[in-house]
Amino acid sequence: MKSVKFIAIIVLIIIVASLRVWRRRRRRAQASGPVHVARVPRRGFVTGDVALVMSRELRERIRGRFYLFGTAIILLVVAAAIVIPVIHRSKAQSENIGVVGTLPPATRSWMVTLAHDEGATARFVTVSTLAQVKTSLADGHIDFAVVGDRELVVNTLFSSSDVSTTASVVQAIATRLGDERALAAAHLSSQQAAVLARAGPLPIVALHHGATKGVNATSLIGVILIFIMLSQYNTWLLIGVMEEKSSRVIEVLLAAVRPVKLLSGKVLGIGLAALLQASVVVAFALILSKAVGSDVLHGTGPLEIIATLVWLVLGYSLYCWIYAAAGSMAERQDQVQSLALPLSLPLIAGYIVSLTSASAASPSLLLKIFAYIPFTAPFAMTVLVGFGAVAWWQFATSVAITLVTTYAVARLATGIYRRAILRTGSRVRLRDFRGS
Amino acid sequence: MLEFDGLTRRFGAVVALDNLSFVVEAGQVFDFLGPNGAGKTTAMRAVFALIGIDSGVVRWNGVPVTSDARRKFGYMPEERGLYPGMRIGDQLIYIGRLHGMSTIDAHHATEAWLTRLGLADRARDKVESLSHGNQQRVQLTAALLHSPELLILDEPLAGLDPTGIDEIGAILVEQARAGCCVVFSSHQLDQVEDLCDSVIIIDHGRLVVTGRVDDLANSGARRLVVRIEGDRTGDWAHGVSNVTVSEVTGGEVRLILGEDVDTDDVLEAARRAGRVTEFVMQRRRMSEVFREALQ
Repeated sequence: MKSVKFIAIIVLIIIVASLRVWRRRRRRAQASGPVHVARVPRRGFVTGDVALVMSRELRERIRGRFYLFGTAIILLVVAAAIVIPVIHRSKAQSENIGVVGTLPPATRSWMVTLAHDEGATARFVTVSTLAQVKTSLADGHIDFAVVGDRELVVNTLFSSSDVSTTASVVQAIATRLGDERALAAAHLSSQQAAVLARAGPLPIVALHHGATKGVNATSLIGVILIFIMLSQYNTWLLIGVMEEKSSRVIEVLLAAVRPVKLLSGKVLGIGLAALLQASVVVAFALILSKAVGSDVLHGTGPLEIIATLVWLVLGYSLYCWIYAAAGSMAERQDQVQSLALPLSLPLIAGYIVSLTSASAASPSLLLKIFAYIPFTAPFAMTVLVGFGAVAWWQFATSVAITLVTTYAVARLATGIYRRAILRTGSRVRLRDFRGS
Repeated sequence: MLEFDGLTRRFGAVVALDNLSFVVEAGQVFDFLGPNGAGKTTAMRAVFALIGIDSGVVRWNGVPVTSDARRKFGYMPEERGLYPGMRIGDQLIYIGRLHGMSTIDAHHATEAWLTRLGLADRARDKVESLSHGNQQRVQLTAALLHSPELLILDEPLAGLDPTGIDEIGAILVEQARAGCCVVFSSHQLDQVEDLCDSVIIIDHGRLVVTGRVDDLANSGARRLVVRIEGDRTGDWAHGVSNVTVSEVTGGEVRLILGEDVDTDDVLEAARRAGRVTEFVMQRRRMSEVFREALQ
């Protein structure tokens, strides 16, 4: 009872104090009016103008229909990719197996197991004669029939390329029944027969770790995600800078803020919007996958997820400056389109090479080279991580090269932005800066 | 006090500013005049470092203008600049914050100015949904929000109806009386005559004339307005020696008198042409000051 009183008093004090602070701030604001306003000194690079510009960008982007609609579409696609295979798997095909004569319980048991391995549920239907087998097959009451240990009867012969569940089950049961008959003909004891049935290949042990297991599905999805996000958000940046220039709002902004701060805030704001969207997608995929028991992300480790997010951030950090500088040189939509195409070429090259290599058993030499070129590293290094074919120092080296390049590109881009953003009329070209 | 000291800027062979020097005192409404391409916008943009200058310096209160000083200035560019798809209220608060205001101050200043300009109920609308005149009002608010020490407005009255001109003109005068230094350019010379304390006329980037409006209007040749019943041409005045017909509008003849002209002689000539209904001495209009300065 005492503790309840104590909490009530504390809550009351907090409410009264908050009200007093609120009233004081309100009075002060009203007193200031439109004529005399107190200015807040802001000197810090990140805490001042940059943060202001960044928060505006982030707020306006997140509030926009394109962002919300785009995020919803991506989440729907991800949900479909995770849920549809699970639904498909849960609706296991039923295989009706006609049985002529008797089948021992042990045989029925392994037949059920074999059918399950092929994604089907075995159901046994007793059929008395071969004539009835034909009728039942024609009517579709059974999918195939086992006639003693002599033969399996199907309606039409399966082709060698038939990959249907029924064909696979029939093939597996026929092979196993043949083995059983051979073992019986060899007069082996049941124990000997069991040992032979469990026979499998010897393990192959490698002296060195190779990268022959194929790429991890998470890294593959990561590369696609990075490509979509880099293309989308850098284009936003390109158009955003162009629109500020064409709407002339840039003059009002630059009357109060230095160009480098304005640009930094803009790239940070749009970058945060991208990172937020990526994080939402990844978290959604992981949670949904876990909830429905999907194996799409089976084997996903934190390493692949972290590598994907790291390269998304690094890729954006590098390309954003280039796209922003290009945006400052354009003033119309058609100019943006002609600028966007050459800029997207390294993105596309890195994406295609990485995606192609991902389908191979081991990483190609080109992929390994691309992993150290900053403009293609976001894709190539993500795939190499998926292959498990990269040591930490190789990863760190690629990150370091990208960071150094990003710094150089950022300096160059801000210089171009500063000179081009206020130049109107015809499109600004790089040669215009020669000698300036 | 705003001081332009020897500003020079060339664009290739074109000289936009040619050693331009003048001073604007605080508490004044100062009109920047000149024909198209005279260098007015270039000079205004130089204050905000929106354009590089080849030589010269812009000073505020005797000190070269810095980025911190610019934060206390208000600017309305010639080609209006606002985010078309952003809410008006949010946009003004953002610009106020960029000029160093706290969020709450920016919020209240936005509310106060929008209420004054009759746009309080449009704060949540996007700029693109406003009429031209209202966009102009919002643009002016963006320049005024942070109570600037120096207000530079490039063609703030362009495209406004007479009511809008009166409304914005009153605000500019009010700002100046409160101690702000108001500099603006306009082509509506006669309309802004009552607003301005001083003017400067430049041409080809060079200073042509500057001074107080009263001084400039009272200087130069005398102006005489004569109206004669039934006369629409003013042909009678061509016979009066040392008198030039400046303009004839709706039967009102505006004359420029030479130094030695006796107004009684002009009145006599007018009477001979018909019944005189108007005979008034007037000051030089700003449009006349402008034209005569550029001749």
